[in-house]
Amino acid sequence: MNWIDIGAVDEIPVRGSRIVKTRDGCVAVFRTGPDEVFATSDRCPHKGGPLSEGIVHDRKVTCPLHNMVYSLETGKAQGADEGVIETYPVRVEAGRLLLDGSRFAARGAA
Amino acid sequence: MNDVMDPATMTFIQVAEVWVPDGDRLVLEKGNYGNLDAFAAASHKESFARGEGLPGKAWAEGRPIVLKAFDGSYFKRTEAAKEAGLTSAVAVPVFAGKVLKAVLVVLCGDDDARTGAIEVWKETDGVLRLEDGYYGAAKHFEWVSQHTHFPRGQGLPGGVWAAGTPILMRDLGSGYRFVRADSAEKAGLSTGIGLPMPAPDGATFVLTLLSARGTPIARRFEIWEARAARAGSPREATLTDGICEREGPLWAEENPPVSPKTATAWQGPIGQVLGSGLPFVKTDGVGLPAGYRSMVALPIWRGDDLAHVVAWYL
Amino acid sequence: MTRLVVIGAGMASGRVLEHLFDAAPGAFEVTLFNAEPRGNYNRIMLSPVLSGEKSYAEIVTHDDAWYAEHGVACRFGERVTGIDRSRKVVTSAGGEVAYDKLILATGSNPFIIPFPGHDLPGVVAYRDLEDTAAMIEAAGTPGASAVVIGGGLLGLEAAAGLRLRGMEVTVLHNTGHLMDRQLDETAGYLLKKDLENRGIRVITSANTKAIEGNGRVERVVLEDGTTLSSDIVVMAVGIRPATHLGQAAGLETGRAIKVDAQMRTSDPDIFAVGECVEFDGTLFGLVAPLYDQAKVLAKTLMGEDDAFRVKELSTKLKVTGCDLFSAGDFTAGEMREDIVYRDPARGIYKRLVIEDDRLVGAVMYGDTSDSTWFFGLIKDGTDIEEMRDTLIFGPAFQGGGGAAADPLAAVAALPPEAEICGCNGVCKGRIVEAIDGGAASLSDIRAVTKASASCGTCTGLVEQVLAVTMGDAYASPAAQPVCGCTDLTHEDVRRLIKSRELKSQPAVWQELGWTTPNGCHVCRPAINFYLLADWPLDYADDPQSRFVNERNHANIQKDGTYSVMPRMWGGITTPAELRALADAAEKYGVPTVKVTGGQRIDLLGVRKEDLPAIWYDLNQAGMVSGHAYTKGLRTVKTCVGSDWCRFGTQDSTGLGIKLEKVLWGSWTPHKVKLGVSGCPRNCAEATCKDVGIVCVESGYEIGVGGAAGMDVRETEPLAKVATEEEAIAIVTAFVQLYRESAKYLDRPYKWIGKVGLDWVRDQLADAEIRAGLIDRFEISQSVYRKDPWAEHAKPDTARRFHPLADLNVEAAE
Repeated sequence: MNWIDIGAVDEIPVRGSRIVKTRDGCVAVFRTGPDEVFATSDRCPHKGGPLSEGIVHDRKVTCPLHNMVYSLETGKAQGADEGVIETYPVRVEAGRLLLDGSRFAARGAA
Repeated sequence: MNDVMDPATMTFIQVAEVWVPDGDRLVLEKGNYGNLDAFAAASHKESFARGEGLPGKAWAEGRPIVLKAFDGSYFKRTEAAKEAGLTSAVAVPVFAGKVLKAVLVVLCGDDDARTGAIEVWKETDGVLRLEDGYYGAAKHFEWVSQHTHFPRGQGLPGGVWAAGTPILMRDLGSGYRFVRADSAEKAGLSTGIGLPMPAPDGATFVLTLLSARGTPIARRFEIWEARAARAGSPREATLTDGICEREGPLWAEENPPVSPKTATAWQGPIGQVLGSGLPFVKTDGVGLPAGYRSMVALPIWRGDDLAHVVAWYL
Repeated sequence: MTRLVVIGAGMASGRVLEHLFDAAPGAFEVTLFNAEPRGNYNRIMLSPVLSGEKSYAEIVTHDDAWYAEHGVACRFGERVTGIDRSRKVVTSAGGEVAYDKLILATGSNPFIIPFPGHDLPGVVAYRDLEDTAAMIEAAGTPGASAVVIGGGLLGLEAAAGLRLRGMEVTVLHNTGHLMDRQLDETAGYLLKKDLENRGIRVITSANTKAIEGNGRVERVVLEDGTTLSSDIVVMAVGIRPATHLGQAAGLETGRAIKVDAQMRTSDPDIFAVGECVEFDGTLFGLVAPLYDQAKVLAKTLMGEDDAFRVKELSTKLKVTGCDLFSAGDFTAGEMREDIVYRDPARGIYKRLVIEDDRLVGAVMYGDTSDSTWFFGLIKDGTDIEEMRDTLIFGPAFQGGGGAAADPLAAVAALPPEAEICGCNGVCKGRIVEAIDGGAASLSDIRAVTKASASCGTCTGLVEQVLAVTMGDAYASPAAQPVCGCTDLTHEDVRRLIKSRELKSQPAVWQELGWTTPNGCHVCRPAINFYLLADWPLDYADDPQSRFVNERNHANIQKDGTYSVMPRMWGGITTPAELRALADAAEKYGVPTVKVTGGQRIDLLGVRKEDLPAIWYDLNQAGMVSGHAYTKGLRTVKTCVGSDWCRFGTQDSTGLGIKLEKVLWGSWTPHKVKLGVSGCPRNCAEATCKDVGIVCVESGYEIGVGGAAGMDVRETEPLAKVATEEEAIAIVTAFVQLYRESAKYLDRPYKWIGKVGLDWVRDQLADAEIRAGLIDRFEISQSVYRKDPWAEHAKPDTARRFHPLADLNVEAAE
C-alpha cells in the first residue's frame, strides 16, 4: 500500500463526490457519511457517464446519464443491469483522505 | 449495620391496598394494614362498583384522586378509617391503554409530625399544574406547590412528563436545587420519585411521591425498566435506578450498564408485577431485601405495553 | 514493599488500585496524587448528579475510609510539577516522593475553542465536580438560561440536566446532526426531536462567533447574527489527553502518552493508564477500555502476563427516558449491508450494519431493549447468516418465531382487538367487520372505519388486513409509490410533509417509514423539492439530492462538458452583453455558440473546471444564470409588442421582462416556460407554453397547460385580466399553486389534467387564496431569487468544480 494524502475529507460534501486525476483516468471519491468514503472509477461502463456527478444514496451511486446504479463497495451494477466499475482502497485518517497510490504508481515506475 | 432495621416508628403512608376489577366491581386483592386490624377487616368486606367510593371514582374518572377529608365524602369506610386514625387517601388507577388493571389506594393519618407529599400534576395549557396533593404537616410546601407550574422538561414533574419514564431524585432540599428546593428543605423532604400516569382519555398526569427522612414514604426506592418484556420472550425487567438507606445506590455503575440486576416474570415481588401486570403489595418480608418488611410495586403502562415497575420498601 | 506512586485519582487508576489491593494486599506502598481536592469518584455519573437524579455521595467510589484501610498516602489537591526519571522521584508543592514504579493517570483536559470571550467568567467546561457545581449554581437563579456548545454525549447530558433544573437551554452543534460521530442522521433527528420535546432548543449547523458580556457571560452570538442570552456557557466540544507531565519527562508521546500492550511507557518503570494513553494509534474516552487497561496494568505490576486489546465500544446517552444506543463501526470497510427498521408511530428506529455475515455496527433509538444482545453479536463476531432475515427483530424472534419473517402471516396472527390505525383508534376486528360488510378497497375502509384516513402510515397494514381477509379477491390498488423506498405515493408524501410538518429529509425518512437509510436517486430529488417548496425558511436546499445539471448549474453534455446560458430578460440583450459573451466564448475555447428556441444564447462545450471562471466573467458583464438546467423558471419568450410592432396591442416585451424578474430562481416540480405575445398573431408562440399570455386591445388573455415537447398541446384559457399587475398576480399565484400541489416531474399540463382546470380556476379566483399563494411565493423567493453563478464563482465554492487532486502532477514532482 502507498497511501497518498489527497485532501481533507470535508472537501467532499456528505453524499457527494470529487474526482482525482490519475494515470488510469479519473477516480471518483465518494463520501457516504461523515467518515465513510469510497473510491471507484469515475466512468460508467455503459455510456461513459461521470459517476462523480451522480446521486449518492446509501452506499451506492446512480449514474447521471442513464440511472445505472452501482454499489460503491463491490463496484457491481445493481438490479438487472450488468457491469462492474473499478474500486480502489481509500480511507479517512484524522480528517484526511488517503488513497492507495500503489495501483497507479506501479505503471508509473515501469 | 444491623440485620434488623429499627422499626419505622412513624411512616407517612400507613395503609396501602390494591383493588382489582372482578366483573363490574373492584375487590380487594391485597393490603398492607400494619396493625390496623379493624380497618383491614372492614376493607376485606368491601367492594366497589365503577364510580362508587374512592377506588370506584378513580376508575370512573381515569385519573389519580386525592381525598383529604372523609366526612361527608363518597368515601365508604369513613367510620373504620376514623377509628384507625386515618384521615386522607390517594387512589391511583392503573390503566393498560383503556383497560383498568387495578387501583392502588394509600391512606395516611394526619398529624403535625408526619411530613411528606403525594402530588397529582395535570397538564393544562402546555404546563403541569398541581391538580391536588396531600402533604401532611408540610403546609408551606403545599402552598408553594399550589403556586408552581412546570413546563416540559423542568423539575421532577416536568422531567417525568417529557421523558415519559419514572424519575428518582435525590437530596430534594440540599445540594440539589429542586425547583421548590428551599421549601422542600425546610419541610425535610429528601427523596422524590415521579411517575407518569397515562390516563385512558389521553390527558397527561404525573404522580410524585416526596419522602422525608423522619416520616419516610419508603427507605428504599427502585425503578425497573420492563420494556424488554415482550410477548413471546421470557418477560424480564432490569433495575435502572434505585436508592436504599441500607445498601446505598442500586444502579449499575458502568455505562452501558454491565450485568444490571434483573427480575423475571413470576419470580420474586417484581416478577409478580411483570407476570400479572398488576400492582403488588407484600407485608411479610419474605423475599424482600434484608431489613425490609413491606413493599409496594406499581406497574407503569405505556399504551398496551408494561414499560416500568416502580417499587418502594419499608 | 514496592513504592508505587500514582498521579491522578480517576476511574482508571482507581480500578488499578482495587485490583492490586485485591490480589496482592500489602505488596504496594501507594502514594496517590490528585490535582482535584478529592479522591476517586465515578466521573461518568456526573450527568445524573447535574440533573439531580444522583447525589455526589452516591458516586464516590473510594472514600477516606477505603484509602485509610489500604494505607494509601493521599495527596489530594496537590499538583505534580515534575518527574525526575534518573532519580526516580516526582516533585510537587509538598516536596519530592520517591518511586519504584510510577503510574501516570493524568486523564484529559477539556478542549476550549478560543472564541472571543471564551475566558469570561461563566464559561465552563464539563469535566469535574467543580464544573458541575458551577452549573448547578447557575441553575439556581429563576429563569436563567444556558447555552451548551457541542451536541455530543457530554453536551447533551449537560443540556438535559440543566433543563431538568429549570433553565432555558439552547444546544449549538456545528454539524448537521447531533452526536454525528456515534449516530446516523435519522437517529440524530429523533434525538433532536426528543430533546426539543423536553423544552431544549437545538440549533444544528451552528457557527459560534463570539461569547459576549460585561465582566461575565451574557450572550452568545452566532455567525448568522443570532444572539442567545445566556447566564452560563457550557463548552463540551471534546477532550485532549493530558500529556504535559509525561512529555516533560521525556516519555515517548504521540497524540497521547504511548504505551505497549502491558501499559508500559517508553520508561520501563513508568506506566500510563486511562485517557492520557495512546495505544496502537488509538485514544480512549469511554470507560470500558479504561477498565480493561486497569486490569492489564495491575497484572503487569504483579508480574503476571496479560495484554490489552482494543475492543468494540458501545454508548448509551445518560438522559432519562432517551433510549439511544450506538455500537460498533459504521466507517470504512467493504461489502456492507444495512438493515433498517422504522416504527414511526412509536418513534423507533433501528439500523444494523452487516459485513461478511457478521454484525459490525448497530444504532437504536426508541427501543434499545435488545442492545446488549446486538452488542454481544458484534463483540463475538457471531455468524448471523441463519438469522439474517429476522435479526432486526431481536433475540425473541430467533429460533422458530416465523411470524416476523412473513408480514402477512404476522397480520393474520393479530388478534381482532389489535389496533391498526393509531390516529382513529381502529382495531383489526373493526376492519374485518367492514370487509365482511362489503368494503373491498382501501378507500372503502377509509370511508367506513376512518382507518388510514389521517396520517396514513398504517395504509400498508390496512392493505395487508384486506389481503389476508379477502384472499385472492383483493386487488391491490394501482397507486404508484414514489419508488422502492416507500409504499406511499407522491400525493401521500406531499400531504404528510405539510400536515405533519416534516421539515427535513431525516424527518421524512423516519416519520414516513422509508426502508432505506437515505432514499435513492428517484425519491431524493422529489423529497428535496417538496421540502423546499413547503418549508422555504426551515429547509435548506440539498445539492446532493439534485441531478447533476441542477447541482452544477449547467447542462451536462454527452461528452461530459457543460453548456452555459445566461439570462436575457424577456429575450432582450445589449451590445455590451453580446461582446462579453463573445469574449467568454473565445477565452474558454467554446466550440459552439447557439441561439436557443427560448430566445437566449447558449455556449456549448465548456469544461467543468472552467465553469466558475466563465460565470465570473459573465457576472462582471451584469449577466446572471439563465437556469437553462432547472426544474424551475426557464425563459419568458416575447415578441417586440407595441413598442415597435404595428400590430402590437400591449407592451409584451415589458410584461415578459417583469414576469421573468418576478419568477426567476424559483424551483418548480418540472420546468416552466412562459411566452408573451403582443397580439393574437402570437409571434412569441405563447399558446404552446406552460403559461402563455396573449395581449389583446382590452387586456391580457392568460392560458396555461400548453406543451411543445413529445406531447404538443395548446394552452387552455385560465383568466382574462385588464392590467399588467393583475396578469402578474395571476401568473405568480398559478406558479405557486403548481409548486404546492403538483407531483414532482409533472409538467403543468399533466398536473392540470389530474386536478382539473376548474379547480385551478376556482383557487385563483378566490382573492384570499390568491393573495396567500402570492405571499408564500414571495417568502420562498426571499431565499431563492438570487444568482447561483455568483454563489459558485466564489473561490471556496469554485474549488469544488476542480479535481480534488491530480496524481499525475504529484508523480511528476
